[in-house]
Amino acid sequence: VTTTPDVIDALVERATPVRRLRPPLLRAGLWLGFAAIVVALLAVGHGLRTDLALRLREPGFALAIAAALATGILAAVAAFALSLPDRSRWLALLPAPALAVWLATVGYGCLTDWVAVGPDGMHPGETLRCFATLVLTSAPLAVALAVMLRYAALLRPGAVAMTGGLAIGAVTSAALSLLHDLDATAMILVWNLGTAALIAALASLFGGNLFAWFEARLRPAREAPRP
Amino acid sequence: MAIPRGKPRLTLVPSAGPAEPQGRAGQRREWSGLMARAQDGDRDAYRALLEDIAPYLRALAARCFREPSDIEDAVQDILLTVHAVRHAYDPARPFGPWLVAIANRRIIDRLRRQMRARSREIELTAAHETFSADPANLRETDEKVLHRAIDQLPPDQGQAIRLLKLREMSLKEAALASGRSVVALKVATHRAIRSLRKMLRGETP
Repeated sequence: VTTTPDVIDALVERATPVRRLRPPLLRAGLWLGFAAIVVALLAVGHGLRTDLALRLREPGFALAIAAALATGILAAVAAFALSLPDRSRWLALLPAPALAVWLATVGYGCLTDWVAVGPDGMHPGETLRCFATLVLTSAPLAVALAVMLRYAALLRPGAVAMTGGLAIGAVTSAALSLLHDLDATAMILVWNLGTAALIAALASLFGGNLFAWFEARLRPAREAPRP
Repeated sequence: MAIPRGKPRLTLVPSAGPAEPQGRAGQRREWSGLMARAQDGDRDAYRALLEDIAPYLRALAARCFREPSDIEDAVQDILLTVHAVRHAYDPARPFGPWLVAIANRRIIDRLRRQMRARSREIELTAAHETFSADPANLRETDEKVLHRAIDQLPPDQGQAIRLLKLREMSLKEAALASGRSVVALKVATHRAIRSLRKMLRGETP
């Protein structure tokens, strides 16, 4: 049996100096900066949607994008704060107001001009490119976030995976609205909410596994064979 | 297996304060300083901190677990977690809540694992020791064949079966007599019965 003094000895033995984490706000800012770079690169590579200036003048569209970005920012802050053990778990609700506004704008737009789904509303090629943007935005963001928050595996994996997934989903969805002219509002609804929901769901599903993998790696050798 | 009776309850502030020493605030400020030095690689400070928090963690764990072995396992789990995430501690913030949050997380994990284990593991009863193959339950086959089979078991399994089943000792008595833990005896018995079942099926088809 490994006794507790043995464990303490082993841990003291391995007590190398560590670099303290920067404050969560700053770390969230770093990640958001990385997200901005990814989206900017995509915008350069793909080009912004053609009617962006026009659409931005519509209050509904601008509000929806702003709400999506706010959701992403607040969710990222929440994820970084929640990854620390001594922060309140209520921080998970931080993105809720922005999320509500975002859902409301998307839903409202859907109610008012869903008839706008016309014959030239969209074409299949656009959907595919949209999907490519989706993957190109969310994958690097997810990897960066997972690496930055890997130690949360030992603490609050569920809440961190959820808020982190929401942050990635919201940023990705804002990027989609900026880059692709999907004018069919039903399509936007599906893309916006679908993206966020899909990414959040993936994060909850695989976030657990990923965190378990990190946990196995982070935790010093344990589980001495029982007598 | 340890079965905590009643509903496990986690509290942030100890109700009867079994381990909380005098001058808590002062002590925690000291913990915070020790941790800050440990983060910089000061091993003496780290050892002092770990040895200081271990009894406190033991008291926290003792509220949720009954078996001393479970309590120690929980304490070690918490210490390992503290070690793994020690870079996430901000010395500007109090150490106590940070530690308690980690401790609660590990204790809850362990309770959940126990619940799951309990839902699929069943303690051995008389029914499990009855062989399903008919010949094994016949009078003639009993003694000789069984003893021969037991002799073929690995020594630890053989000893467990002899003490617990042939001499009908209780687990505690057997643990005293053999110097092995109750858990080890249970495991050995379980394995022994499984191998015996296989052997007897093979010998008397």
